[in-house]
Amino acid sequence: MTTQGVDGPHPSQEQGWSRYLPRFNILLVLPAQLTMMVVVVVPTLIILWLAITDWQPTQAIAWFKAEPIWFWNFYDLWYDSRFTNAVLRTLFVVAVCVSIELGLALGLALLFLDEWPWRRVAVSVIILPMMIIPVDAANAFFMLFNERGPINHLVSLVIGSPYEFSWLSHPTWAMAPIMLAEIWQWTPLMFLLVLTGLMNLPQNQVRAAIVLGASPARIFFKIMLPLLLPVISIALLIRSIETFKIFDPVYILTRGQPGGATETISMFMYNGAFVYFRMGYIAAAALLVLVVVISICLVLARPMTRHG
Amino acid sequence: MSKIVEGGRSTRRNFLQGATATAGLLSLVPSFVMRPRAAQAATLADVHIEAAKAAKELAAGRSVTLTIMQPSGSLGNVKPVADRFTAETGIAVNYLEVPLGEINQKVLLEAVSKTGAFDIALPATFGIPDLAESGILVNMDQYAIKYEPAGFQDDALYSIGDYYKGSFYGYQTDGDTYVMFYNKDWLDNVDEKKGFADKHGYDLKVPDTWEELDAMMAWFHRPDKGMYGGALFRTQYFLAWEWWGRFHAKGFYPLDDDLNPQINNAGGVAALEEMLAASKHLYPGARTNGLFENFEAFGAGDKFADIGWGGTQKFLNSDKSKLKGRMAFGSMPGGMVDGKLLKTPYFNWGWNYVVSSISKEPEIAYLFTLYACSPAMSTIAVRDPDGYFDPFRGAHYEDAEIIKTYSPEFLAVHRESMRGSIPDLYLKGQGEYFDELRVNLGAADAGTKSAKAALDDTAKAWERITRRMGNRSQKVQWAFLKSSYPADIRSRLS
Repeated sequence: MTTQGVDGPHPSQEQGWSRYLPRFNILLVLPAQLTMMVVVVVPTLIILWLAITDWQPTQAIAWFKAEPIWFWNFYDLWYDSRFTNAVLRTLFVVAVCVSIELGLALGLALLFLDEWPWRRVAVSVIILPMMIIPVDAANAFFMLFNERGPINHLVSLVIGSPYEFSWLSHPTWAMAPIMLAEIWQWTPLMFLLVLTGLMNLPQNQVRAAIVLGASPARIFFKIMLPLLLPVISIALLIRSIETFKIFDPVYILTRGQPGGATETISMFMYNGAFVYFRMGYIAAAALLVLVVVISICLVLARPMTRHG
Repeated sequence: MSKIVEGGRSTRRNFLQGATATAGLLSLVPSFVMRPRAAQAATLADVHIEAAKAAKELAAGRSVTLTIMQPSGSLGNVKPVADRFTAETGIAVNYLEVPLGEINQKVLLEAVSKTGAFDIALPATFGIPDLAESGILVNMDQYAIKYEPAGFQDDALYSIGDYYKGSFYGYQTDGDTYVMFYNKDWLDNVDEKKGFADKHGYDLKVPDTWEELDAMMAWFHRPDKGMYGGALFRTQYFLAWEWWGRFHAKGFYPLDDDLNPQINNAGGVAALEEMLAASKHLYPGARTNGLFENFEAFGAGDKFADIGWGGTQKFLNSDKSKLKGRMAFGSMPGGMVDGKLLKTPYFNWGWNYVVSSISKEPEIAYLFTLYACSPAMSTIAVRDPDGYFDPFRGAHYEDAEIIKTYSPEFLAVHRESMRGSIPDLYLKGQGEYFDELRVNLGAADAGTKSAKAALDDTAKAWERITRRMGNRSQKVQWAFLKSSYPADIRSRLS
């Protein structure tokens, strides 16, 4: 039998504790790991399984009993013009909306960099749109762009004759109100991220440039913008992922009409999974979309990795 | 007297005749054909009393509660009947309201989740095949044999959607046949009549054919004077239904016996081209407005024609409409096939009472549906002026309150239309078939595809859907469905 001295535990006892430490650590992280398993790994495995089946609830069999059809879903998706068009259309929406949001956010953030009266109130007003429930915001745009809505009324006043253009049913223009709704609602988020980045830029280089007589444009493009790049990358990443999932304005304004001209990937998948219950097919589509989104993320995350 | 004598409408007897003529279909002769109806004690007049009595006996003093999942807005139809059922049987009824457009999905989800959340549901009729295939619906052949009185289904003016592959899955409770609405003031205007007759060589009257309707809409379309030819739907969801009517009026089934699509044949393309041409004579909101906006748009009184259901008439015959009492009605227009007029009224929506296979009390649930769809109780249900249910039984057309709500002129046309309606595409995957059709028709209407390309693309997609759903299984139901088309129409379609 050993006794513990005043200087700490006996060496043999210490060895005993440390022997149990790895197991104790596992116990500590186990709840988090199990949660992750349940919410991420299990659904992912189910999606992987469904993607190689053609399971639908209408088959009256449990999903795990579905017969595998292997890669036929992916083959069908490749030749499904609605799917490929929806992916391309969504990429277009992401490119346009996020670019415009970034441009607007940069401009606004520069305006709000200096202190001026009512600045805080103005910031609150600018970020208001993103507080609105997306469905309500979309509904407002549905009203605005109705044949007899305020937009057409405004045009009528300008041209001096009745103007009843069907924005939401025109194959070329129907996407414009959807993108406007998205830009209007989410530019504030981009603005907040960029403003925070600008406010936290190291001031030494900027002050030095001012002392050396650099023009404001030169200071912005040569000093501020490169320093801001990691923040911009994060903002672009967040907004690109979010915009890729665009659903509310599409659902409320057009539901993918006319003739699928505004069908984004979320709308395509919503219809496939929750209206027609093509769970296997849509699981395969989701996997392909995941590959696309990860590729975009890797490209956008490059500046961040460069900055360590 | 059987309905075949009354109006040439399809009946189960017609189906039996058709089925026996085809050796391959013999196995399909459904059990309802052989039901020993005469053995039933109940009659049409007292079926609700007998159903309540049987339900009470089955409950045998237990505390039984039935839950009904119904589309939002239909409580006014369901509750008065359910309250009576509770009073007569002691069986409580709960309500589970879900959004109108989502009820079929909710019922289908129950096939996966099996929560037992409801005993009875009111899905849209066109979804019955998918629901039946999912196993969530009780096949009610045996209950019908046990409880349904003779003539019960023959008294319903439209019951094709109640059956899938020859088996009975739920009672129709809503007379959703498409009906045409016309601005009577414009139609009766002497100057307009003369001008139109001079130009076209025939009278301005309720049109018999789509060609006549299109000509009349073109005639009245004067947007510079605030007059529009029509308020017919051009939103994607509704678009396919009008084309379906126009296509059938060309004399074709959508599929041949081997399930090859016929929709992209010359008749289909012509029907679509005519529909696209007619789009020019509609009001500006036709492509964006939904159902209720459509009611209001036509009710404004500045359009010549509209298409809709009994619900449309409930609005138009109310004080909210400027056209109250100033409308003429017609069944859906037809076409000239082999020199003779072919009219194909179309039943394209409707709600069916069905019983969940997860229900712990399926027999009592069935008895509730029988009770609710009995002539006496369904009359009470249809009376609700704000509900969804439109007349579907003979008794409804003689009820003073219902006549007041709908007007006698409308009911005359509605009854005739119900009796001779063609069915929707009641196949497994109906939603997918129609979604492809809608998207491609929408593309043609938007001008991004030609009529031929749109229908060719739809046909290709339909072939894929059929292959996925199982060609053999779909063939069985298609043969059954074809045999259910009204006899006088069936003989004219190829």
